[in-house]
Amino acid sequence: MYIIENNKIIQTLLDWSAKFDVFAPQQVENYSQYLQVSPDKELILSNIHNTRFPPKAFFLPQSEVMLKYNANINKLEEYVSIPKQRLLFGVRPCDAKAIKLLDTVFCTEEYHDPYWKNKRDATIIIGMGCNDPCQTCFCTTVGGSPFNHDGLDALITEVDGALFVETFNEKTNELFNSFSKATKEQEKHVHLIQKSTESGMNKAFETKGLKQNLDQIFESEYWTQISESCLGCGVCTFLCPTCFCFDIVDEIYRNQRVRNWDTCMFRIYSQEASGHNPRPTRKERTRQRLMHKFSYWLDHVGEIGCTGCGRCVRYCPVGLDIRAMLRTSYEFEREVVNV
Amino acid sequence: MLDIKTKLQNEISRLLDENLVDVFIAFKKENSPLRPQPAFFRNTKELAELEYNGLCQNNLANYLPKYPKETRIGMVVRGCESRSVNALIVEKQHPRQNLYLVGIPCSGIIDLKKIINKVGEEVTSFSEVEEIVSVIHKGQEIKFNRRELLHDSCLCCIYPSPVNADIMLADPLPEGDPALIRKEVESFQNMNRNERYAWFRQEAERCIRCYACREACPMCYCSECFVDHGTPRWSESTVTPAGTHAWHIIRAFHQTGRCTSCGACERACPMDIKMTYLTNKLNYDMYDMYEFVSGMDEKIQPPFASFNMDDKKRFVL
Amino acid sequence: MSDNGHNPYNPIPMHIVRAYYESNDRSLKTFELVFDDHKDCVDFFDNYNPGQFCQLSIFGKGEAPFGVASAAWEGEFVRFTVQKLGSFTQYIHTLKAGDPIGMRGPLGNGFPLDEWKGKNLVIIGGGCAFSTLYALTKHVHHPSNRPNFDQLIVIYGARTSGLCMYKHDIQSWYQREDMEIHQAIDVPEDDWLHHVGYVPDVVKEVAPLPDNAVAVVCGPPIMTKYTLPALVDLGFPPENIFTSLEKRMKCGIGKCGRCNIGSKYICKDGPVFSLAELQALPADI
Repeated sequence: MYIIENNKIIQTLLDWSAKFDVFAPQQVENYSQYLQVSPDKELILSNIHNTRFPPKAFFLPQSEVMLKYNANINKLEEYVSIPKQRLLFGVRPCDAKAIKLLDTVFCTEEYHDPYWKNKRDATIIIGMGCNDPCQTCFCTTVGGSPFNHDGLDALITEVDGALFVETFNEKTNELFNSFSKATKEQEKHVHLIQKSTESGMNKAFETKGLKQNLDQIFESEYWTQISESCLGCGVCTFLCPTCFCFDIVDEIYRNQRVRNWDTCMFRIYSQEASGHNPRPTRKERTRQRLMHKFSYWLDHVGEIGCTGCGRCVRYCPVGLDIRAMLRTSYEFEREVVNV
Repeated sequence: MLDIKTKLQNEISRLLDENLVDVFIAFKKENSPLRPQPAFFRNTKELAELEYNGLCQNNLANYLPKYPKETRIGMVVRGCESRSVNALIVEKQHPRQNLYLVGIPCSGIIDLKKIINKVGEEVTSFSEVEEIVSVIHKGQEIKFNRRELLHDSCLCCIYPSPVNADIMLADPLPEGDPALIRKEVESFQNMNRNERYAWFRQEAERCIRCYACREACPMCYCSECFVDHGTPRWSESTVTPAGTHAWHIIRAFHQTGRCTSCGACERACPMDIKMTYLTNKLNYDMYDMYEFVSGMDEKIQPPFASFNMDDKKRFVL
Repeated sequence: MSDNGHNPYNPIPMHIVRAYYESNDRSLKTFELVFDDHKDCVDFFDNYNPGQFCQLSIFGKGEAPFGVASAAWEGEFVRFTVQKLGSFTQYIHTLKAGDPIGMRGPLGNGFPLDEWKGKNLVIIGGGCAFSTLYALTKHVHHPSNRPNFDQLIVIYGARTSGLCMYKHDIQSWYQREDMEIHQAIDVPEDDWLHHVGYVPDVVKEVAPLPDNAVAVVCGPPIMTKYTLPALVDLGFPPENIFTSLEKRMKCGIGKCGRCNIGSKYICKDGPVFSLAELQALPADI
């Protein structure tokens, strides 16, 4: 474990920006966003809890050119860019775990997605643990924690004005080995703080039996009830670090085939050419979203497809809270059984 | 406000007991702090969840087109909301006889984002008494004057009282000063063309095309929005300045004479984009050129949706 | 389908060698495509199995999935029959021999022929969904494949005789001794010598025996809805009844998240599913 004094971190990031493209959370308007660190710009690290836009955008950009059309030979050609080596600093463990979950989608045995993989291979992710989890955070409920290592190359824990860094591989060891090492006492102290922060978080909803419960109430009125106020916009899905659905379109004027984020909450998402829509109302679409995250992800890789970042709770225009929706599902099942 | 809430609860109770409505649309208590939600009451037992305060930020008229026309809907309406209801009635989105409107004159919607910007993210509780709002952030109580926290649209609101309520739960509030909105519009209009474009570009740059603005707006109820058209493709779905600019501008134009300046679009936006400056300008032009204010009457068509034989025909060659 | 560094989103260049209308109303058109690069041809047929589909791709118009309607032994071409339905298929219908087209495939799981070895095959198709069943039948016809299966019964219904696909070839099937062919149309026509009636009723009439048999059903939703119970009534257990599903697709390789029914992606875990598998999935279609 290494120690960096708080007032040295900005210089460290600036030094690193000579070798990599370094991105760190900085203030934009009223929120924070990952922006590139550059020596010409003053760097003020944002201390707001989490960026509004999730860092999945570094690996699955909202709009990404996949292929270019060569009119001379009337052929689509590969356009797989290999980005410059880059470093993401200050990624919260929930977002990092989400990136690791998305690896299971994009890097499968049968089909390897070169766009995702190239960006992953070119990126070092340094996490920042959460000393003061928000009331909308629920990472511990879904198998994560405010100091989880999944998806991270290193994790920083801030204690008493100093940053304690745990490195998990050679890449980050190299980056930090010029800093002083923490003593055994200090290490123990940091781990204690991590554990106590983690255990201080409440359970937002029961996950044992959640999948079976949702599977059982698939046809019930529960979905109509919880989706009645849903607007059907894309805020929850676009800001979600584990949502990955995309659309592929041809942009004729720029001779490109592009992939764009898409959302199962839009009506035309599964609209078929014949006019039939398997998910015609908000009920089916909300059901698809929740079932995908809390049931189908479990079928695919044995993990819940949600890392508890809380963005959907904070930014839903009508105040829908996924934690309350899932708690209600249990009551619904009990009600159905008792009737 | 508590007084109003109790009156509201009693009225909804009466409507449900006497089977005068099939569903009553209002707000219910928050699941996460400071975020009361739209609610759809169908029996009086559910009324324990009823909420009504300055944080009830959604325009409930948005839900009207989602119900079949035979559904008898009761709903709470404030100022801009009541005008949105009228605008929807004009466009035949729900028959007036199947609506029961409970009017509450509005002292303005509190912008949750303003609270967060002033005190921080972890606000755990909220209360308001008359003009004083107090919030608790990290255990500390902080008080504000209500006006400091109002959403920008509410700061220049001219019509705070419902225009079409079947019953009013409080005395109407006086109309606002039209100079307020004129000042807003002129401050945008008086920028030169480059400045205006720079401002528009700066705001639109953050857009992530989530369409929360569209879905939160009561007047955006088209079953197929122009952005979803494939042939012709009016606006690309790829997030580029061209596509995003087209989205914002065309949506504003589609709102002309229909928008009631409720600001629900801005409140819904997750990227804090300003957009009412566009619709305010267009609405102001409607007033200036045609003396038309959206939603004041449930029968009068907006100028751009109607045709009259006396219309000037300068554009006809 | 192995990871050989090939970008799975990049269409393989092909061009059309034959294009002809199947149906008298010109709503169905068959295209035979060849590969521009022979290496792609070899790769394709190494991996191809009847029941799979490909994404046909035209820049500026988009991509859409189509079932492969030919068997590997027929030659170094790939056949597709396209129904004119939306903007993309409308454009494809304007293409003719010599025109270039992109293709991604073979995709999907295809029919589980290994599981079906030694069994009787009951192939039931309706309308334009018959294309992959045609590929399956052609595959079984080949002398090296035929001994792998016992009886072969094909039931194919179309609304009218003009809408039947592959008419010429199917005519020759009546002369074959290694199969039974039952064609049907909805209403009687002069000169029609075969069954008249809806496919589910024809299935009940033909009454294939369920012992040591598998049934494959591909057709419009309404036909499938009534044929599956008819087969169950005849004694076919759900694990021996198969069907091929369709849904809106984009990537075709299980990454864009769109074509799922429950936890199964139609592009990757399907499109062929047994009735037993479908019954375990939620009703999301």
